Amino acid sequence: MGKLIVVACGAGINTSTIAEDSIRERMAQEGFADVEVKRILMADIEGYLTRTDLVLIVSMMKIFRTFDVPVIQGMPFLIGSQEEKNVLLNKIVDVVNSK
Amino acid sequence: MTLEFNETLIAFDLQAGDAKEVIDLLAGRMHAQGLVAADYGRQTWEREQHHPTGLPTKPFCIAFPHADAEGVHRSALGVAVMRQPVTFQNMADPDEDLDVSVVFMLANRDPEEQIQTLRNLATLFGQPEKLVELREQSTLLGVASWLRRELRLG
Repeated sequence: MGKLIVVACGAGINTSTIAEDSIRERMAQEGFADVEVKRILMADIEGYLTRTDLVLIVSMMKIFRTFDVPVIQGMPFLIGSQEEKNVLLNKIVDVVNSK
Repeated sequence: MTLEFNETLIAFDLQAGDAKEVIDLLAGRMHAQGLVAADYGRQTWEREQHHPTGLPTKPFCIAFPHADAEGVHRSALGVAVMRQPVTFQNMADPDEDLDVSVVFMLANRDPEEQIQTLRNLATLFGQPEKLVELREQSTLLGVASWLRRELRLG
């Protein structure tokens, strides 16, 4: 089965696109052909929680609840140095590998 | 479609009372050029209340306000370099106020189409020395040509 990473932000347009783009690039480098990276509105997250292929939520905003899958704060994709972005991407690779 | 960016979409040495004033000003200039709907500023301000866009960049904070694609006729970038900072809330923590010195308003019609600009913005936001260079520009034309070069805008 494939693996789904959702990237959530407020408008689902600018900030989540930046994170989605970085993650997709790294997934391709890793050769993870079965990983789908999808940007969504945080308001729409409910519809994804029941998906059995969901492995990770990357949120550009603060989250006020807990989920059954890991959540990573994606702000460094927007304002971090290349090194900070790489740390985050390594973490995501680890999550994908562990599922 | 390219990204519309021109001198009239830049506010330099701007004195504004609050964040709403900055958003209204940039959205108003975009609307005057037919780039966004008349209520794009209002929509952006409303979204800012629920999903703030202040970013704790170094060595000063910036903001990245925008609404969804619906009100955008043609993608455009507006920038305000503030004389004194205005308050935005932190995207990562809405309870935290940030003193914002530069506002980047990206009215985006299609994120895929503007992917290179988004990449270039994220690279800029992550480089303190570049942000300092931007704020040290002494004229509006200086800001315009610096942004054109750094963000590789046509």
